[in-house]
Parts: sequence; structure tokens; C-alpha cells
Amino acid sequence: MKVVLQHLTKIFPSRNKKDKNAEVVAVNDFNLEIPDGKLIGLLGPSGCGKSTTLFMISGLQAPSSGSIFFGEDDVTKLAPENRGIGLVFQNYALYPHLTVQQNILFPLQNLKGENRLSKEEMLKRANEVAKLVQIDEYMNRKPSELSGGQQQRVAIARALVKMPRVLLLDEPLSNLDARLRLQTREEIRRIQRDTKITTIFVTHDQEEAMSISDYIVVMKLGVIMQTGKPQWVYDDPANLFVAKFLGTPPINVFTGRVEGEKLYIGEEEVLDVAGAEDQEVYVGIRPEGFVLDRKGKLTCAVSGIDVMGRDISVVSTSASSLNPVVRSIISADEMENITGDTVKFNLKQHKVFLFNKETESRVYFGRQVAAHEEMVARMKEEGQFFSSHEGPLPKEMVEKAEEPAQEKKGMAAKIKGLFAKKKSESAPEAEAKPEDETSQSEGE
Amino acid sequence: MDTERAQKPVLSKEEKKILWKARLSPLKAWLYLLPTLVVLAIFTVWPIISTVRMAFLADVRDVMGEQVYTGYDYLKDMGGMYDFSFSFENFAHVVGYGGFKTALTNTILLTVITVPISTMLALLIAVALNSIKPLRKLLQTIFFLPYVTNTIAVGMVFMAMFQMIGPIKSPTSVGIINNIIEAFGGKPVNWVKEGSSYWANMTVLIIYIVWNALPFKILVLLGGLQGVNKQYYDAAKVDGASRFRIFWRITVPLLSPMIAYVVITGFIGGFKEYTSIVGIFGDVRMGPPGSIGRPLNTMVGLVYDSIKSNQGEASAAALILFVIIFAVTMVNLYVSKKKVHY
Amino acid sequence: MIAFIVISAVLCAAIVFYGVVVWITERKREVPQDDWMGQAVATKGMRAKDIDAVSKKQTVMKILVQVGLYVFLVFMAIIVLFPFYWMLISSLKSQSEYNASIPTYWPKQFHWENYKYLFVNVAEDGMFIASDFDLKTLFLNTVLVGVVSTLLSLIVTVLAAYAFARLEFKGKNALFAALLATMMLPGELFTITNYVTVSSFGWITDKVGIFTALVVPFLVSVFYIYLLRQNFMQIPNELYLAAKVDGTSDLKYLWKVMIPLSAPTLISITILKMMGAWNSYIWPNLIGGNIFQLVTVGLRSASFQNAAGETLFPIQMAAVVLVTLPLLLVFIFLRKYIMRGVSRSGIKG
Repeated sequence: MKVVLQHLTKIFPSRNKKDKNAEVVAVNDFNLEIPDGKLIGLLGPSGCGKSTTLFMISGLQAPSSGSIFFGEDDVTKLAPENRGIGLVFQNYALYPHLTVQQNILFPLQNLKGENRLSKEEMLKRANEVAKLVQIDEYMNRKPSELSGGQQQRVAIARALVKMPRVLLLDEPLSNLDARLRLQTREEIRRIQRDTKITTIFVTHDQEEAMSISDYIVVMKLGVIMQTGKPQWVYDDPANLFVAKFLGTPPINVFTGRVEGEKLYIGEEEVLDVAGAEDQEVYVGIRPEGFVLDRKGKLTCAVSGIDVMGRDISVVSTSASSLNPVVRSIISADEMENITGDTVKFNLKQHKVFLFNKETESRVYFGRQVAAHEEMVARMKEEGQFFSSHEGPLPKEMVEKAEEPAQEKKGMAAKIKGLFAKKKSESAPEAEAKPEDETSQSEGE
Repeated sequence: MDTERAQKPVLSKEEKKILWKARLSPLKAWLYLLPTLVVLAIFTVWPIISTVRMAFLADVRDVMGEQVYTGYDYLKDMGGMYDFSFSFENFAHVVGYGGFKTALTNTILLTVITVPISTMLALLIAVALNSIKPLRKLLQTIFFLPYVTNTIAVGMVFMAMFQMIGPIKSPTSVGIINNIIEAFGGKPVNWVKEGSSYWANMTVLIIYIVWNALPFKILVLLGGLQGVNKQYYDAAKVDGASRFRIFWRITVPLLSPMIAYVVITGFIGGFKEYTSIVGIFGDVRMGPPGSIGRPLNTMVGLVYDSIKSNQGEASAAALILFVIIFAVTMVNLYVSKKKVHY
Repeated sequence: MIAFIVISAVLCAAIVFYGVVVWITERKREVPQDDWMGQAVATKGMRAKDIDAVSKKQTVMKILVQVGLYVFLVFMAIIVLFPFYWMLISSLKSQSEYNASIPTYWPKQFHWENYKYLFVNVAEDGMFIASDFDLKTLFLNTVLVGVVSTLLSLIVTVLAAYAFARLEFKGKNALFAALLATMMLPGELFTITNYVTVSSFGWITDKVGIFTALVVPFLVSVFYIYLLRQNFMQIPNELYLAAKVDGTSDLKYLWKVMIPLSAPTLISITILKMMGAWNSYIWPNLIGGNIFQLVTVGLRSASFQNAAGETLFPIQMAAVVLVTLPLLLVFIFLRKYIMRGVSRSGIKG
């Protein structure tokens, strides 16, 4: 089932009705066409509106404006139960008082009229689904008697048993430990392939999204920043946010400028950037984009080396770097070439991305221009799913999002207040404490 | 940082002081507890012992042919003037007393009828309150009002509402409730006046007790509902469950601990019913005007009937009541353990 | 009257109608059917017309359900409020209007003097009503008992809760468990012996004695100690250690830190305790007799009759209003604390 979102917008009204400024635009004019039978990852930092988008698709939240289509059907106004979706909640929301089997049967027992199934048929379906997600041996247990991964699979089974037109998963792996997470995401991939149900899942973990999605949708502040095949989005980020969000270790960002088709970082001329106009830029360099070279043009001060087996990660610092440290990944064989306090690098052209300092959108140069155009043309031709956000996000939106969180209330805050007051009465030197705390919460 | 200082291995002068104080702490604790323990010893612990004792002491009145013994005298005459021996006589008297059967029947009837009604109504109201937004606070406040009212005072209002005004047989003279009944085409009933029937009286009592019991139940159930993870309802909605199915398959099971709590406390409260009857019918007659034999008496009433005249029998009655409540609570707990999920 | 009947009838009809609508719509509700596993997932959706119909039905249902909920709640609220309403309007009627064969739902004339009679004990026609209802003394007695017993019991409760929450001594847990166990016993079990005890103390013969007997036996409430202890335990231990390092004494710490932080619980306890004094009937009735009455006892024992032996209901209702009103006012202003206190008792298990 193809899913189309048109101008989907969700505005949460402010609690204080008079203060219009406090309303939150969770999803902002969202346009997306999700192809049939694919696994889509909605990806972004927390608060970017990805879960809200998912809940609007499910019908649990009503959009403020815009429409949702399943295939040709406009389902915007339909209640969740009439949309034919399956939804897996972040913490599974398995009914604690029902056994696994009863949980899976629950959606089937709700069918009415001509859709009603016979008891045997229901049991048959429940068993088949349980087998598919490999929990058929636990049918008579209560959810509390299962591990997190098993509960997760029961939740998927419950969502699948009525054969939904669209399967939605909200942070499906976030409650699992690292090992289980790896295993379960393969499982989800397998189940999706077996059933061919259009599946949309939400995650903040870029690695997770990249590894199992057919396509990813990167979001920020309710706006789509870029969509497409994971590898393409990684290789050809449309803006600084996407470049920074994808990849581990994260991309290294420097401030730099383009002058006469040359890229300067600090005072060093580091790369030829044919075709780029003179401007101030952010330079994003993937860790694997560095080549160790004594005659290299980018100089960094070495502060340490992390050995990771086949590769090593050189930790260095540079005055122009926006990250606290510059991480470069090079082959372990080259370790002996690092001597002294500084290293010099050459850069791989296709691993270096320039972004305009004002708009933060991509500045293509050299061969990147042709490669990008060719890729876009091919994707258009294949009817692939891609889009990207150009230009900056509205300033007031960004500012609002960066406002420090309101002071915590309740017992803890009261105790803190009292404590601070008490301390300042008896010991004046403790007065610095409350300041520490505010700066911490701002940094978060 | 202060805790760090406190945990330093080398003891400062201050810390030595703390240690020293800590050694004195038990003494101080007992000092703090002294008023509590004294009051509890006299007015809680001693009564437990004494009540059981009094209940099992032989009633001296029977031996001497007249009443010389009450618990009060017993206290005064600890010197051993009388021969108090162990006996079940008090229990025999209480059970043999004509009012006992009435009191027991009334108590059981009132409890068994009011608890299910009030629980069901409270559940419906709580669920309804939980699914609306505007006016919720106001309605919640209204539903809580009966809790903060004086049981006796409002009992008098109920009596007035169910009163028949004017001479009983005059066809035009009826009270407000009877008026409403007539408006719906019913016939006026003599609810509380002279000559009113037992079941008319009981109906009034049941209505009043339910009215009185609702607030606490609504409060507890609503609290429970608000504690239920909203995602269960979202999940049920996505799964296409109808409202009735959500209510029976999700809400009631998830709320079952709260429901069990409300039912158990309801049973305990029901068996202790007394003041609502006093409120409506007065503690002298415990029945409509002109009635004899306290036809609406309850078990607690039975205890207070003889509290001044014969503490032995009062104690016996109180113990019987306690045993009944205890047994009923145990049965309740047993049933709820089987039915309550989790 | 007719208006009331019409409203009630409409409400009932609406509820029935709502039930029928729910039943019909629930019965016919459609769920999109897809092919089962192994076959391709059906992409066949609903026709546009179906979607329109379904979404319309949905909206109608939603509105109907909301309307139904409000109808039900308002209906129940009316029932809950009715006694209050009746008590108020009855207290303002004249005796003859009250006795009219067709009751009025709003007094024809407001007889505020009904309230005045409560204080001067003279009825409208100059006849004395039974002068056994002395409201001023009753109020005074009740407030005195309420205030004194609340203050004392707060002190006792705070000290005990502090000892159980913060201090270490042998047998603490066992003692606390024993205290909790006493909560399970019905109060009637204690009343008998306590009556014997206070009478042997000579506390039932004079005013001071009765006052003492009304206060002392109920100074300790295990439930309040439990409530406050839980609250105290939530306050982190670091605060205590810090205070000790600063050389703060236990009592000062209790007063400066624990009590302010537990203020909501203490307020809840205060209100519930005052309410208890105001509403208590059995014990004051048992020991007070005619010497020292609390307000509820006075209200119940007063006859409100005129010389002809006729009960003056409007005046009785005025008395009921005056007894009920203070609590309602307290509740309306301190709702939060009362509901918190009561709902906490939900954990007492």
C-alpha cells in the first residue's frame, strides 16, 4: 500500500492559551510519497516530529492540516480502527492481563459483521503469525514473563495478525539491549520482506535506520531534510544537518572559505574546488576522507590514537574544527607514519562536503556536480523515492527550539531550592551551585 | 559536595559529634515516640486485650439475679470482689437477643445491595469523567461533595426529602420524592413515616448509603484510571476494539486491583453502617416513628445499644462483628486474588 | 416541576437513544479486510464513497458518545447535588410553604429569619421552639475540640513519623508493622473499653473531662503517621547529613526542612482531622451526653418542634445548612489537599 502525505502539519497549541508564541509546530508541511512494500525509516533527533508523523499516519493524532492517503484513499479523517494499520508502540503496550495468545487474538476478535472469523480461523492465524515472529512456544505466557525482545515480537505479531495495509513501528528497538537490538532489527527486516507490508518505523538511531531501511527520511524540527536510499543520503548529504546526523564516528566539521576555486581551512589551502563560488563555508569531512601524507595540506595536532583492529582512529585537534576533536580513520598499517605532535592530511574529494555558512545547504564542486546530477537523474528515471531540503529552516523556529527547557518542578526542585538557600545561609561559598545546574540544563 | 565531606575517612570534630549523637539516637527515637506509644497503649492496645477479656467473662448479673457487674465496675474492683470466670455467656446472650437477627440481616442486606450498586455506578462515572475534557474538574468536584458532608446532617435532609407531608392518607399531601414519582405516573410511597414498610425504609437507606459511598470510590477509581498507561487504549483503538470491548477487556481488568480495593473497603464499611441510619431515623428508634424493636438496627448499633449497660455483651457483639468482617475480608481477598490480574 | 420532569425525561430518552445508536453502529461497523498471509497483501481499499460514509459515521458517533457522556454525568451530578439544593431552598421556606401539598422548587419568599431563629430560639409565630439547639455553644465546642485535637495530634504525628523515618533504633520495623496491624481492627472494638477507661478516669462527668475524653483517645492516628513517614522518607538523606555536618539539631532540622517539605501532607492531615471533629457523632454522643455536645450530636438530638409538637422542617434545614456549609467551603477552597489525603488512603491496603 502506497502511503502519501500531503502538506501534513501538526501544531500543538500552547498550554497557556494567550501565549500564541508557545505553540509548537511539531510537523511542518510534510510532503512524502512512500512506495508500496518498502521499509521506511523516519530518522531524526528527539523532538523532530517523527513520532508525531507516525501517530498521524496511524490516526491516533489528527493533523492540523494536510492529508494522508493510503493508495488512492484519503484516510485523513478516518479513525485508527478504520485505517487498517498495525502499530507497534515503543514500550509495546501489550495488555498485561492477557496471555500472548489472547494479545494476538485481540484484534481478530474485534472484527465484526462479514469480516468476523470463525474461532478456528482466528486461532490458525494467530498461530501462523506467532510462528512468523518465532514466539509460538510462549503462547500461554503473560507478557511480564517474557524478555524485552520476545515482548517486542508479540507486539509485532499483534500488529500483523489482522494483515494491516501499513505497519507502523515507533522506536521499536529503543527498549532492547545492544545485542538484542542487532538481532531484532534483522528480524524486523525479515518479517517485512516475508509479508511485503509497507512498513514505516521511527528511530533516532541513524545506524539502525541505515542498516535496515529501504529508504530513510531525515527530519529536523518537523521538516524533511532529506530522503532516499541510506547510502545515497550518506554519500550525498543535501545539507549540513544531514551530514552531521549520519555516520559514526560523526563527520568532522571545519569552518573554511572558498576563494578562487580553492578551499581554505584556517590559512591552509586544502583542496581545489572547481566551480564553487567564493563564500564562507562549513567543510564536512568524513573520518574516512583523510589520507595521511607528509606533504598533506591540512595540519592537525595529534592528541591520541584509538586502535580499532584493522583501522585506527587518529584523534587530533584543529583550531578551525567545530567538533572538539577531529577524528580520522585510516588503515592500521599507517600507524608508524604518525610521528611528532602534528599530522598532515590530504583529503579525498568525494568525502568532503561544502555547505554555505548562511543556508547550511550543500555547495557542489568539481566532480561532485556531475555525480549528483547523474544520480538525481537516475533516481528520477527509476521512480525512486528521494527529496531534499534546500535552504535554511526559518530562524524563529530554530530559536524557539533552542530555548532552554523550563525549570523542573516538584519535589526535586523544591529540595534543591531549599538546599541552595540553606547552604547560602550557612556557607556562602556554595552559592555557585545553582548556576552550575542551569548551565548543565542548557547544555543538554 | 557536602556528602563527600561527610564521607571522608578522617573524622573531623564535627563528624565525631555526629557519631556520638548517633549513639544517643535510639534513646531520642523512643523519646519522640513516647506520646504516640502512651496513647496507643491506653486507647488501642489495652482495649484489644480488655475487650476480648470482657467478652469472655461470665455475666455476674445472672448469678446474683441483678446487675452488679459492668466493665466499669470491673475496673474499679480489680481487688477481686467478684468471681469472674471464663464463659461464652455473653455471646449466647447477644445471639439469643431478639434484635440480633434483625441487626445481622439488616447489615448483610445493606452491604450486599449497596456495594455492587455503588461500585458499578462509581466505575461508570469514573470512566465517563476520564473520557471528557471540558467541565471535568467541576464535575469531579461535584461528585466529591458528599464525602465532605456530615453524614447525620445530610441524613436528615434525605429524611425530609422522602417525608410525606401532611396527614398520611390525604391524597394530595406528598413530599418531594413522592412528587417526582407521581410526575412519572407512579404512586406515592410512604417512605419513612409511621407505618412505612421495611422495604420502603431500606430503599431510602440504600439510596443514601450509595450516595454517600460514591465519592471515595470515584476518587480511587479515577486515580486508578489516570494511572493506566494511555497506550493500552491507543493500542486497543488501533486494534479496532469497540468502546464496550475496551471497557470490559481493557479498563476493567487493568483497574481490577482498584476495583478489588474499593469492594473490600466497601464491604468493611457496609458492615460498620450505623450513622446513616441514625441520620435518617434517629438513634433512639432506629426505625420509622412508631416502630418498636429498632427494626433498622445494625451490628454496630447492637454494640452501642449495650455499651453503657453491659460491656460484656457489647464486647461480645463487637467481637462477633469483627469476626464477620474478618471472614468476609478474607473471602474477598481470596476471590480477588483469583480474579485480579497481576 | 414540569420543567424538571421534562428535563429528566429528555435526559433519560437521550441515554436510551445513545445506547441504541451505539448498539446499531457497533453491530455494523466495518473493518477493511485484507487477504491473509502467503498471498499478496491486498491493496484494495475502500471506495471514496465508503470512506466518506465511514468518516461521517465516525464523527457522528464521536459527538454522540460525548453527548451521551455529558448527559450521563450531568444527570448523576444532579442526583448528587439534589439534596444540597433541597436543603438550601427548604431552609428558606416558610413552614406553610414547606408543608404545601405541591412542593415549590424555589421559595416564594426568602425567609432568612429561619436562620435567625437558630440563634434566638423563637419561631415565626412567637412560639418557642425547643430550646435544645444552642448553635453558638455547639460551634464553639466543636471548633475548640477540632483545633486542640488537630494541633496536638500534628505534633505527636510529626514526632512519631520522624522517628520512624529518620532515626535508628532497635525494633523499629517490628514496631511500625505492629502499628500498621492495628489499622485493620474495626474501631468498635476499641470504643467499648475506651468508654470504660475514660469513665474510670472520671472524664464523662464534667465539661473539662469530656473535652479531654474527646481529644486524647484520638491523638494518634496510625494512618497519618504512615502517611507522613512516607513523605519524610522521600526527602533525600543527603539533606539530613548536610544539616548534621552544619551542626543543626534534629529538632531544628525537622522544623526547618522536613516540615516545610511535607507541608501538603500536613495540610491534608489538618483538614481531615478538622473534618473528623466536625463530623464525629458516635463517640461524642456516647460520652458527651447533654453536658458537652459537639455540633453533629446537637443537631441530631434537637427536636426543632414548636409548642404544638410540629416539626419545623425549614428551621431544621437551616440548622443542617449551617452545619454542612463550613465543610463545603473548606472543601471548595482546599479541594486539592482533601482529595490528595483521601486518595492516599487508597494505598493503605
